[in-house]
Amino acid sequence: MNARHVGLVAKKEIFGLSSEKTIVFAILLQVFIAMFSSFLMVGLTAMYDPEALEGYSTITYGVAYAGADSALIDEFEKRDDLILYRTGLGEALAALRERRVAAAVYVPDTPPDAEGPVAITLYLIQNDLQSSVINVKIKEVLQGYERELREVRADRMVSFPVGLNFPDAGGAESFYEFVYGLLLPLLVLLPAVISAALIIDLITEEYQRQTLETLLSTPVTFTEMVFGKILACWAIVPVQAGAWILLLGVNGIPVGNAVPILLHVSAAGLFLILLGAATALHYRERTSAQFVFSTALVVILLQVMSVPYNPLNLVVRLAVETAGPGHWLILLLVLGATALLAGAVAAYGRRVGEGLPALGR
Amino acid sequence: MSLVSSIRTIAVWEMNRSMTTMGRNVLPLAMGLLVLLVLVTGFAAQSGVHMQDGIYRIGIDDPEVARVVAPDNRFTVELADGPTLWSNRFAYDVIVFSGEVYAADTDKGRAALTALRRDYEAYVSRVAASQPDLFAGYPLWIDLEYVKSEIDFLATQSGQQVGAPAATREPPLPSGPVEAVTAPSPAVPVSEDELRQHLAEAGNENPLSRYTGMISSGSATDGLRTPAELSPPLPYDALILVFVFIFPLYFTSQFFMMSVMNERVGRAGEALLSAPVRPSTVIIGKAIPYLAIMLLVSAAITAFIGAPLSILLPLIPVILFFLSAALIIGMAARSFKELSFVSIFFSTLATSYLFFPTVFANTHVISIISPLTLVVLEIQGEGFTAAEYVYSTALFFATSAVLFYAGTVNFREERLFSEKPLTSRLMDFIGGAIGRDYPHLSLFLLAIFTIPFVFMAQMMTLVLFFNIPMPLSLVLLTVSAAFIEEVAKSVGLYAMIKERPGFLTVKNLLLGAVAIGAGFLAGEKLLLFATLSQITESIFGSVLFLSLQVLWMPLLLHIAGVLITGSFLLVWGRRAYVPGLVAACMIHSLYNLHFLGGML
Repeated sequence: MNARHVGLVAKKEIFGLSSEKTIVFAILLQVFIAMFSSFLMVGLTAMYDPEALEGYSTITYGVAYAGADSALIDEFEKRDDLILYRTGLGEALAALRERRVAAAVYVPDTPPDAEGPVAITLYLIQNDLQSSVINVKIKEVLQGYERELREVRADRMVSFPVGLNFPDAGGAESFYEFVYGLLLPLLVLLPAVISAALIIDLITEEYQRQTLETLLSTPVTFTEMVFGKILACWAIVPVQAGAWILLLGVNGIPVGNAVPILLHVSAAGLFLILLGAATALHYRERTSAQFVFSTALVVILLQVMSVPYNPLNLVVRLAVETAGPGHWLILLLVLGATALLAGAVAAYGRRVGEGLPALGR
Repeated sequence: MSLVSSIRTIAVWEMNRSMTTMGRNVLPLAMGLLVLLVLVTGFAAQSGVHMQDGIYRIGIDDPEVARVVAPDNRFTVELADGPTLWSNRFAYDVIVFSGEVYAADTDKGRAALTALRRDYEAYVSRVAASQPDLFAGYPLWIDLEYVKSEIDFLATQSGQQVGAPAATREPPLPSGPVEAVTAPSPAVPVSEDELRQHLAEAGNENPLSRYTGMISSGSATDGLRTPAELSPPLPYDALILVFVFIFPLYFTSQFFMMSVMNERVGRAGEALLSAPVRPSTVIIGKAIPYLAIMLLVSAAITAFIGAPLSILLPLIPVILFFLSAALIIGMAARSFKELSFVSIFFSTLATSYLFFPTVFANTHVISIISPLTLVVLEIQGEGFTAAEYVYSTALFFATSAVLFYAGTVNFREERLFSEKPLTSRLMDFIGGAIGRDYPHLSLFLLAIFTIPFVFMAQMMTLVLFFNIPMPLSLVLLTVSAAFIEEVAKSVGLYAMIKERPGFLTVKNLLLGAVAIGAGFLAGEKLLLFATLSQITESIFGSVLFLSLQVLWMPLLLHIAGVLITGSFLLVWGRRAYVPGLVAACMIHSLYNLHFLGGML
């Protein structure tokens, strides 16, 4: 293989990418996915746990209480965002229906140390965002009451959990796990997947548009052409992933070990691209190749993610600085597999290339 | 040849062709991959997803405490004695010694603390569930009842604090009549064994089995739950639904897209175009096999998960939408890579449009804008009304109809085989829909046709922005709504100028602006009457559909918007399109904000 030929083909393909502005779509796509997943996460958390975002904590909600006296009342008293009103059940439900209270509870007069359970009824408004908010708050109150009841019935328990004392750290939800554990691996993986889909298009297009002969009438061999395309697709992987890491850093999300992360991403990306290239060389037709490859990709990703110390997990660990030196070993393994695959693709490409003249003329 | 028989001929031909290209090589491998997929899914369900393994370091002095975090892979546990832990405390995110928990004062430390707290809750539940006396471990059971409140949608949508702020210590008395209610019985209506079984099931919950379980058997415990289970509905169901239903549809539409594209590669479709049939016949014939496959696949999935077949109803407009978009993308893309990116981008947009509202399926009425919500409701056994069906599917039917129409009009040799860039081809498509003899009437109709797309795009922004705090979300909505409308209005004019540069004179600009403005207003009115009255009455709706209150004001606004963009085009040519658009958008936003001033 002549390195200069490979480089020439790669340059031509990258030029084609930028002139057709497909790369713009690729980047837009990634931005969109990032935006949507963030909105989903931040929005949902804000909805379910409003205190996670500031500005909501001053709101107080009214809760109607009907039925017998119980320790639950004391649990409600501990909260300053819930105000308890004692009424009859009928009034409570009517007030709830008119939205004068946010929830209603009915407590039967089961004694705390009764044989059976204490079964209380909680009334919420259907199809309402606020019900989700109040749900979270009342859950905490009820869990407090549950602890109380467990203590009362402690003599009936045979084993006890060890006690832990948690600091009072506000309990505000942060998006740490989402950002580092989900968004970051997603963002660095996307360029690799996009490039793998791209190589299929580039190779099958030469077949289906019958432009191969023109290309092969130049000194470039078939294998050189294939690897030029692979190189072009591969080159844009670390660039995009690196841009994401930089962008996250600018947004106050520092990502540790950027260089090892990019190495992992590049190795895994090359593996996927080679796999795409092999599929394309085999089918020589876009629909079949894309279909088979995307199904295979789902299988591979699912399999990879369910193995401990997989590259995606290593990216996460590296980003939060908890990866030991063991990740280099995994990188070596991935590189070895990639090299094997590259050899296979090269051999396959040579065989296909030798068969070509007979096919073409 | 009659219409039906020629459609059938083309459909059969299409089937045969795609089966021969696909079938021989792909099917065996696809089957193998499918088997692999099932195996891998089983493996993944067994071993769990190891994405966030080992992101926290925790130091513990007591092996008993280590059992709390043992099932949680996120923690790397190190056991050491108290003094060692304390002197190395900066190497850990959390340390636990003598029953006290200390967390590092960083984002990561706090996140680790939250994770540990959840793990501890789960651990306490595990201990409680192992008690021989169930009601000692779980003394409290909650029966959750939902009350219907008539004003719910408008009130929460308008951003008011409904019912919540209790300012006084006075009990809030209902103003309406109070019905006598019998108190719920203090006894638990289900047996202890059933409750135990319920707890066991809740413990090893895997999303898929939860889904199928929910469909096959009703809740054995009658809605009874422990406090820990009392959490708002999470969107995982919706996510799985998207995977299960939308991805096969997306794949099949890809085949259709590729089949359309293949007609254009190397002018392969010339024979088809010269056949004595109309373009609409060709398109319908080509689309029918894929439509049938999509319906069959959906029906098979429905039967597989044991859901009622009526969930196919809301899927039909989605299928049509995917097919029509596939047609246009297949006709417009210049190369395979463009086809890939445009189709992936489109499907991401469409999927999020379908998915995002579904998240709120059990919490908010806005979720009905997605047909998938109807699927969720139907699976949950709640069903949907005819009005809800119209409401959530009208936009999909309308947009697919318009896209199919645009595809049919442009299914001609000079459009299919041209090698122009994507945007200019799309402009050609729009220009192709504008008649030469009645340009103003065409512009009027075009404006009407853009309405479903405008609404869809605006719905998307509504979904995106409604989580942001109130004033900001309104401003963002206002500006983006104005921008979308201005783009939609001017696109016809732009396409027209591109096709016939001499068309734009002062007289034609004025006439065209009036035609577009009137068409836009007429379209808005038509669609709104049919569907969206609920949303328009909320404050978010007011931003999007402000123009419906008085008739002549919005008409003037629409005309003015087109005039501004048009004038830029007239004076400075096509390069001035974007500045003109920005100017029109600014005026439009100011107008909207002015009217909203009273509401904020």
